[in-house]
Amino acid sequence: MATHVDTHGEYHPPGLQHQFEDMKQQEESVSIGMWMFLVQEIMFFGGLFTVYLVFRSRFPMAFAAGSNHLNVVMGFANTLVLIVSSLTMALTVYYAQKGNRNMQVILIILTMIFGATFLGVKVVEYKEKYDDGLVPVTGLNRKVKASAGEEHGEEPAKPCWEGAHEEHEYINPKGEFQWHDCSLAKKAENEGFLTPTEKIGYYNPASGQIDANKFRDKVRIYFWIYFAMTGLHALHMIVGLILMSWLLYKAWKNTFSAEYYMPVEMSGLYWHFVDIVWIFLFPLLYLLGRHFIAHGG
Amino acid sequence: MQTQDEITGEFQRPKLNYLNNGTTLKSWLLTKDHKRIALMYLISVSAFFMMGGIYASIIRLELLTPASDLLETGTYNKVFTQHGILMIFFFLIPSIPAVLGNFLIPIMIGAKDLALPRVNLLSLYLYWIGGSFALWGLMQGGVDTGWTFYVPYSTTFSNTYVMAVGLGIFINGFSSILTGLNFIVTVHTMRAPGMTWFRLPLFVWAHYAVSLVMVLGTPVIAITILLMALERVAHVGIFDPSIGGDPILFQHLFWFYSHPAVYIMVLPGMGVVSELISNFSRKKIFGYEFIAFSSIAIAVFGFLVWGHHMFVSGQSIYAGMVFSFLTMVVAVPSAIKMFNWTATMYKGSISYDTPMLYGIGFMGLFLIGGLTGLFLGAIGLTVHLTDTYFVVAHFHYVMVGGQVIAYLGGIHYWWPKITGKMYSEFWGKISAMLVFVGFNLTFFPQFILGYQGMPRRYAAYPPEFQVLNIFSTAGASVLAIGFLMPAIYLIHSLIWGKEAGPNPWMLPGLEWRTSSPPPTENFLEPPVVTWEAYEFGEDSGLDLEEARRRAAVAPVA
Amino acid sequence: MSDNHSEEHHEEQHIGIRGYLGVFGILVVGTIVTYYIALSDLDSSLFHGANTLVALLIAFFKMSCVMLFFMHVRWSPRLVWLSAVGSFFWLAIMFAFTMQDYFTRGSGVFGG
Repeated sequence: MATHVDTHGEYHPPGLQHQFEDMKQQEESVSIGMWMFLVQEIMFFGGLFTVYLVFRSRFPMAFAAGSNHLNVVMGFANTLVLIVSSLTMALTVYYAQKGNRNMQVILIILTMIFGATFLGVKVVEYKEKYDDGLVPVTGLNRKVKASAGEEHGEEPAKPCWEGAHEEHEYINPKGEFQWHDCSLAKKAENEGFLTPTEKIGYYNPASGQIDANKFRDKVRIYFWIYFAMTGLHALHMIVGLILMSWLLYKAWKNTFSAEYYMPVEMSGLYWHFVDIVWIFLFPLLYLLGRHFIAHGG
Repeated sequence: MQTQDEITGEFQRPKLNYLNNGTTLKSWLLTKDHKRIALMYLISVSAFFMMGGIYASIIRLELLTPASDLLETGTYNKVFTQHGILMIFFFLIPSIPAVLGNFLIPIMIGAKDLALPRVNLLSLYLYWIGGSFALWGLMQGGVDTGWTFYVPYSTTFSNTYVMAVGLGIFINGFSSILTGLNFIVTVHTMRAPGMTWFRLPLFVWAHYAVSLVMVLGTPVIAITILLMALERVAHVGIFDPSIGGDPILFQHLFWFYSHPAVYIMVLPGMGVVSELISNFSRKKIFGYEFIAFSSIAIAVFGFLVWGHHMFVSGQSIYAGMVFSFLTMVVAVPSAIKMFNWTATMYKGSISYDTPMLYGIGFMGLFLIGGLTGLFLGAIGLTVHLTDTYFVVAHFHYVMVGGQVIAYLGGIHYWWPKITGKMYSEFWGKISAMLVFVGFNLTFFPQFILGYQGMPRRYAAYPPEFQVLNIFSTAGASVLAIGFLMPAIYLIHSLIWGKEAGPNPWMLPGLEWRTSSPPPTENFLEPPVVTWEAYEFGEDSGLDLEEARRRAAVAPVA
Repeated sequence: MSDNHSEEHHEEQHIGIRGYLGVFGILVVGTIVTYYIALSDLDSSLFHGANTLVALLIAFFKMSCVMLFFMHVRWSPRLVWLSAVGSFFWLAIMFAFTMQDYFTRGSGVFGG
């Protein structure tokens, strides 16, 4: 951007808006403004974290069971991908301050590649859930009609199926949420750490035993929270990528320098915030029940 | 500054001011000038107020008779829901901050504009877009869930346009957040040289506190509406007890914002009242720091009391006790303000102009409203009073008797600054008194009705309640006239009003040291502040001789 | 109103590329540690809820690294510190006051 000379013949720094006296005031204002925006983003995600907190404290075993069916390798990879993208973002700001156009462009492109990778992995994960009947909304799972002769009537409440759900045939004519594995709940019951609320939540009142359908409903709530939180996060990621495209365009045109680099810094703040949300989502969603199954239990 | 005819003393309008600096539609719709944005908000907000008022009139007409004869119950449900939604989200929450705050904060701190003018314009657009979605939903058939959207009705059973209206409120929330964000930044970074924090007008302090609430609370209603919408579409069951969910969870999330929202509504009103009381008593406000910090205290404590909307809905008794206690505590900062305003008036040189009438009206009516809030905050008493007309009367006393009256007072007080014209004091005083009388006649009987047991949100009621309901409707008619009159004489003043001049009230505030209407950049010379807030003396640059001369020659009619 | 501008600049470049890579390394190590600790059953060996507590503590530590160094909070004015800390305080209010209801309800009230 060319430098301006205003009507008084004074030097006008590039990018200085008319309501500000000098660049310092503009930088301060923009910085506080972005932080206020991040504060409200924290409260926005906070509502979902509250929902998570309430349901996890009520039904810890259902949450652990659901969590163990997430692809932890992909979740772990995604965490690392985001951390690398945060690094490249921080370096972008560093080079913007130095006015190094080429490094800025390379690093923004790298940041975008990592961001896109994250989203790509999420797509694969979501597809996996779709294939396994783990999307909590009826109709949004893979539909497979029952084999000939099999009648699907109203299922009475029954004790769990033992063993992993892969051993059973996947029949899902309506694309409903499928969950048949109560092993964790039974383990908790046997070892005595099922909470009173869980007993009310999982037991069939008539038989006094763990009811597969009731347990399934709680696991369904877990998956709903998983999709809501990671979905909202992914949406923010997409917005971040759009922001990066704009930044790439500006950096390509050599807009930024030691005098004027705040847009890069502010975009960086947003990007790091999205990273921080994932830093919390990973352990809370993917790792909360791993210690139950780590030893083959 | 503004030129003045030497013989008649009449002021001439500044040749170039913010109103005529660019006359195309584009120069208004794409403006970055906070004053123009404030005017566009004024028009929009007034339109929503009128729509909400029409719904209110329908409610009061229906309630003239015990039977549900004017409207079917289903329709009545829609009418009170829409009255609430339009009034709360599209009138009360934006009104003072978006109209008066936007216009005055930069001028009061000596700045050229807000810190982020384009964000300000975005706020306005979001307000229009959100309002359009909500209005579209209303015109398609409306919503009948109550403005509180409680589940499971809103998610599972209601057959109305919940999604459209919810979307409108969601978008409008971001308008609110951006306004708050802008004010916080502006007060931190845009103050003129010499304008320290403790020289700021209390109007600015109040808006700073409000902005904190907007930024911290509004996102939570956004996520709550999102959750409700997802539940409506997907029926997963997070609010459904039969599958392990909890309807009270919705209420917790909803009221986490909606209680602080009432402070978003009333704190700016209190800011206006601080200005009115001090300036029209011609006396430095008593306890400046107390009032300033009490605004912050209300903003903070307001986040700790939301459970008092849920005493009988199923939350635990222990939680009820905690929220009840904190509700008593949050009343204290408001009381501090009341005491300080009263002390300001004591031995002041009070002039009972229209704005001051509204200011004093606020004090009395907010007092009643606030005290009855304490009744409702006491757990034992609330069991009897919840969901009765007592609650309705309480919140109308604080919201209409408080906020709307403060808003009207502010509009009248700063009208000459915004438009450069003086309105008719005679009609102003008449309508202020009509509003006061009409308001009390409308809502005081409702306290009695509620205590006697008349439930809220009912189209039909037992015949023994009819007399008080008739009083209430009669009062509403008077109130409606009281609200319509300013619309008439204020617009009249735009064309036939007297030129106001820079300081028609002869006051020391920074906003009175620029022309009326102000130039686009607010001040011809960037001001340097050397006086304290509310200094009524020559040290503050107030020309007392000129004031006396003008008062002798041309009294404000 | 604000800190010395050029001083801020100097300090931001002070951490340098090596500094950023170092923080990056810490974050990666933190992630790996989180994963492996999650596999071991601390709930039985320490106390109930230990796994969750440790996971959250590591997450807080990682977040602090990102905030202080990548987001430059370490060199930012106090207002930025206040915003960052204050927002978590507000989250805590939302969590605590909501959970105090759920923890004090009778056990028969909520649940299928």
